[in-house]
Amino acid sequence: MSSLSYAAPATVDEAIGLLAGASGLAKVLSGGTDLLVQLRSGRTRPALIVDTKKIPGIIGIREVDGGFVIGAATSGAMIGEHAALAAVYPGVVEATNLIGSTQVQGRASLAGNLCNASPAADSVPAMIAAGATAVIAGPKGRRTVPVEQVVTGPGRTSLARDEFIVEFHLPKRAPRSADAYLRFIPRTEMDIAVVGAGVNVTLDAAGVCTAARVSLGAVAPTALLVADCAAALVGSKLDEHALAKLDLAARDACKPIDDKRGTIDFRIKVAGVLARRAAAIAFERAAARS
Amino acid sequence: MTLRLRLNGRPVQAQADPAMRLSDLLRDVLGLTGTKIGCNAGDCGACTVLLDGRQVCACLVPAARAEGCDIRTVEGLAEGGALNALQAAFLRHGAAQCGICTPGMLMAATDLLARLPTPTEAQVQDALGGVLCRCTGYRKIIDAVLDVAGPSPPVAGAMGARLPKVDGPAKLTGAERFGADALPDEAFLTIRAIRSPHAHARFTLGDFAPLLAAHPGLLRVLTAADLPGARVFGIYPTGKDQPVLADGLVRHRGEPVCALLGDAATLAGIPEGDVPVAWEPLPEVTFAAGGPDLHAHAPGNVLCRGLVARGDPATGFAAAAARADIATATGFVEHAYIEPEAGYARRVGDGMEVVACTQTPYMDRDEIALILGIPPERVRVIPTAVGGGFGGKLDLSIQPLACVAAWLTLRPVRMVYGRGESMAASTKRHPARIAAAAAADAGGRLTAFTFHGDFDTGAYASWGPTVANRVPVHAMGPYAVPHVRCTTAALHTNGPPAGAFRGFGVPQAAIAGEALMDMLAAQLGLDPWDIRRINALGEGSTTATGQMLGAGAALPECLDAIRPRWQALRQEASDFNRQAGVLRRGAGLACMWYGIGNTSMSNPSEMVIGIGADGRCTLFSGAVDIGQGSNTIMVQIAAEALGVPPEALNLVSGDTKTTRDAGKTSASRQSFVSGNAARLAGAALRAEILRRANAGPEAMIMLHDGRISVVSGDAATILDPAAMAPDAEGLVLRGEGRFDPPTTALDAHGQGIPYACYAFAAQAALVEVDTALGTVRVLRIVAAHDVGRAVNPTLVEGQIHGGIAQGLGLALMEEYLPGRTDNLHDYLIPTIGDVPEIETILVERPDPLGPYGAKGVGEPALVATAPAILNAIADAIGARLTRVPATPDRVLAALAR
Ligand SMILES: Cc1cc2nc3c(=O)[nH]c(=O)nc-3n(C[C@H](O)[C@H](O)[C@H](O)COP(=O)(O)OP(=O)(O)OC[C@H]3O[C@@H](n4cnc5c(N)ncnc54)[C@H](O)[C@@H]3O)c2cc1C
Ligand code: FES
Ligand code: FES
Repeated sequence: MSSLSYAAPATVDEAIGLLAGASGLAKVLSGGTDLLVQLRSGRTRPALIVDTKKIPGIIGIREVDGGFVIGAATSGAMIGEHAALAAVYPGVVEATNLIGSTQVQGRASLAGNLCNASPAADSVPAMIAAGATAVIAGPKGRRTVPVEQVVTGPGRTSLARDEFIVEFHLPKRAPRSADAYLRFIPRTEMDIAVVGAGVNVTLDAAGVCTAARVSLGAVAPTALLVADCAAALVGSKLDEHALAKLDLAARDACKPIDDKRGTIDFRIKVAGVLARRAAAIAFERAAARS
Repeated sequence: MTLRLRLNGRPVQAQADPAMRLSDLLRDVLGLTGTKIGCNAGDCGACTVLLDGRQVCACLVPAARAEGCDIRTVEGLAEGGALNALQAAFLRHGAAQCGICTPGMLMAATDLLARLPTPTEAQVQDALGGVLCRCTGYRKIIDAVLDVAGPSPPVAGAMGARLPKVDGPAKLTGAERFGADALPDEAFLTIRAIRSPHAHARFTLGDFAPLLAAHPGLLRVLTAADLPGARVFGIYPTGKDQPVLADGLVRHRGEPVCALLGDAATLAGIPEGDVPVAWEPLPEVTFAAGGPDLHAHAPGNVLCRGLVARGDPATGFAAAAARADIATATGFVEHAYIEPEAGYARRVGDGMEVVACTQTPYMDRDEIALILGIPPERVRVIPTAVGGGFGGKLDLSIQPLACVAAWLTLRPVRMVYGRGESMAASTKRHPARIAAAAAADAGGRLTAFTFHGDFDTGAYASWGPTVANRVPVHAMGPYAVPHVRCTTAALHTNGPPAGAFRGFGVPQAAIAGEALMDMLAAQLGLDPWDIRRINALGEGSTTATGQMLGAGAALPECLDAIRPRWQALRQEASDFNRQAGVLRRGAGLACMWYGIGNTSMSNPSEMVIGIGADGRCTLFSGAVDIGQGSNTIMVQIAAEALGVPPEALNLVSGDTKTTRDAGKTSASRQSFVSGNAARLAGAALRAEILRRANAGPEAMIMLHDGRISVVSGDAATILDPAAMAPDAEGLVLRGEGRFDPPTTALDAHGQGIPYACYAFAAQAALVEVDTALGTVRVLRIVAAHDVGRAVNPTLVEGQIHGGIAQGLGLALMEEYLPGRTDNLHDYLIPTIGDVPEIETILVERPDPLGPYGAKGVGEPALVATAPAILNAIADAIGARLTRVPATPDRVLAALAR
């Protein structure tokens, strides 16, 4: 237990060196809101903790080429307070702001939420729907991968042991584009999603959907990018026919587990309802952004 | 590593292990125990501090991260020794009950107010949403934050005054000592129980020598063979059945099989799997399916049965115009006090001293004496402040193992439960399986009521008999019914021991009974209010046990008081439902009654009040304040009886050496029973002072400058305590009071006088149901409570709010599943966002036996809430849920039927 060591490197390369050179399990620390709980419960027993907080750029939000670059360890609270980001990607921001209480918000990061690889992580469906990419640094340099390709299963990611995420990119928006995220929990706050639904759409001048991405969380081992849901929306003005197709496609995509938070049937039903409601919000927001 | 940081404005340096958390750094290294640990997992917020001005959970921050930071804790709030404005607002509003959540609440609110000096209610809820409170129902906390700039008006008088809690300031500054804050002066050992992962299993312990050799800090391993005295304990004098350490057989998950004794760090580092225990799992006896007998003394796994029978139900049903039947089910419910059980024991000569959180010091003392095999006089129980109890701290927790270890090793031994251990090892609310039927004539008058309830009492008896006896008396609800048959059985299973939890089975029964009232009303075309009012027990009514109620029975008054609100809620629901959509609203009403004190059993309280040679007047109260405010209530009542302002009294509370037995803090009995003892003690001291001064009963007593002035008309007599001879306890003048509520035993048919006093209430709920998702939001609760006389309206309202929050949890979200919900993110309790606006109406019709008319409210607050919410859901969606919690999937399933 006391064999655990802690390092706070000042550069990306130094961090990679520490990760590569660790004698046992090495864990990257962003906000620590997952990692500390797991350390305490003994679910993870690393030999080294690499705290990223001193790495330049790891915390902060920049507007680049009309899109956004979000440092991997940027807290939910900072994301929530960024007015420009909230205007363009309201779904990503509302999803991030659902993570935990105010105390957790002040620490929790997008990278931690993603790399903890819980199927119920709130920001992940929203980031996937938004078309976000992760920039991963490793000994061979940097690579950029779509967020949906980072998590491979509960608690597992496609990152090598000497890699970590340095930032996320959110692309420049076409006009009349917006996103929305809704989650279902039994309590009003401070709870883990039973189902999460992220919807991102672009409309034409007539209000017809020209592009869509829909992602569902907590209904399968990883967050899903559901092409059939997107297809249900494209070409529609979100009439009842499109909503019904979306609802059906969402339910079809679900492979949930049965647990105390919700039965399989219940989760499937809720996924359909949330997809409908999130789509309605995204359409309304997109129409308002002309 | 060495850390440098600013703590409450001062630079500090500390040595910390890199794996250490900020919470442990503050508490264990820097000695600031105001920051509390409720879960160590980010779920409860009790550890909230400010890090560079922003609220964080100290348990989620690596101490290493605090390097160079500015940390502010509750100890840094008071200004120049005086409470700051926020603390004063908390005190004024009664926002701290037990106080364990208070430091976290204060720090979260401090963060908010620094950014938004005049927040809205929604902003307060948002900012404080990460801190859980199990006592207050949050409403007074919100009021306090919104009123941070408000004035603190002076409080006059004793009885009926909104006196700030006498122990309030300590809870607001972080000075209060809870179970985990009290440390022995000498070096101490820590004990860690190894608990069964199986619900039912045989086990053998292996050779501990390798484990001891591998960990030099591990001193020894305690097993059942080491126990010096009784090997089992239990609430009732006969039928003690719960092993201190299991001996080859475990009957529930979480049962201790052995215990490691050593230094804290060593114990924490030993993986569970390294302790040599070989398990042989056995089939689990469940509530649903039963199974082979678990105890030789309980054939058929029936621990005990209860019965109340009057008249002939068949006649009543035959004569009825309407009949309703229902079957309901409830699960285990966890107390979820924010303070996990903690304390320490140390051997003092041939005696034992135990410092721990408890609701019942005297029962603990006697039980510990049995376990150690010594007389009770050699055990001293010193209760710490209790961070919430609700019945759960009526059973022993850390005491047996800590005491045995301290007894054997001659060293102080500390034991602190983690959240998971607290949930796995402590008692629960009894699951119930109820079948009930009720009938009424065409005018709505009840003609018959039958009820059978099976209660899952789990592996050991605990308070199971209390539930089995209390429920039949209350099951028909607060209504006059001529023909009644109510039966109960407490059944053993391999579930966690079910014990005492606010209401002792009555809340489960009320869910069935109050549904039946609505079903009958619907059949007869009556308003739910009317059928209740027609049948309400009041002065002169006869109960199902044949007891004639006196002037204190005020349900009719509660119903009359709530009527306009009820009508408004119904109107609001039907107006809302005129619009189409997935949202549906409904209004629900429920009543309850609750017998104060033990059922048909002597349960006396004794109090002493006295004046020392220095002229200081002290109330010695053995009543343990678990947050509900009995410390303050006793002072108010004794002061009233003595005829002095409450500020004139000091309080010594709840140590088995320095105070008399005031019974346990349960059954809503402290205000009524101990309150009467305090009143009698105050009156006795007053009589003694008047006698010495030769003054008449109208004389005024004043305590000042170490002297006692007795003023009568324009004659004044001064008594000088310094000139009087002190007795063995250092008192020169004393008054003693004893009260035991007059009850009689119940006969074979459950007839008799089980309680000397009953409290009544009517509550109404307005809910909104999302019919596509099945979610239920409670929008408003109105609660009219018969409290006899409100000794302190602020505290009474606080009890009602807190009870309602727990009732809401029972109705909508709480169900403990052994092994699956042993934390506060899988076991959900209401957060600040779940508890709606609550309007309390205090109906004050003095009880002839109560101290100045007062009666208890602790449990009554909870009983009616879940039934009112369930009735409101039925009103909203036209379908009735018969299983709680009414989770969204169950609501959808009910809609689909
Ligand atoms: C009380 C409470 C409530 C919560 N509520 C929610 C909720 O509502 N919704 C929700 O989705 N989550 C919730 N969580 C979980 C958690 O807060 C989130 O997952 C959070 O986003 C994790 O971020 P972090 O920065 O704290 O991660 P950390 O704990 O620092 O890290 C989490 C994991 O990611 C890895 N990691 C961290 N940074 C990187 C990186 N840059 N590159 C690669 N790997 C990295 C770590 O090694 C670790 O395995 C809650 C947690 C708590 C304690
Ligand atoms: S102790 Fe830190 S959140 Fe509960
Ligand atoms: S006062 Fe909040 S938990 Fe007791």
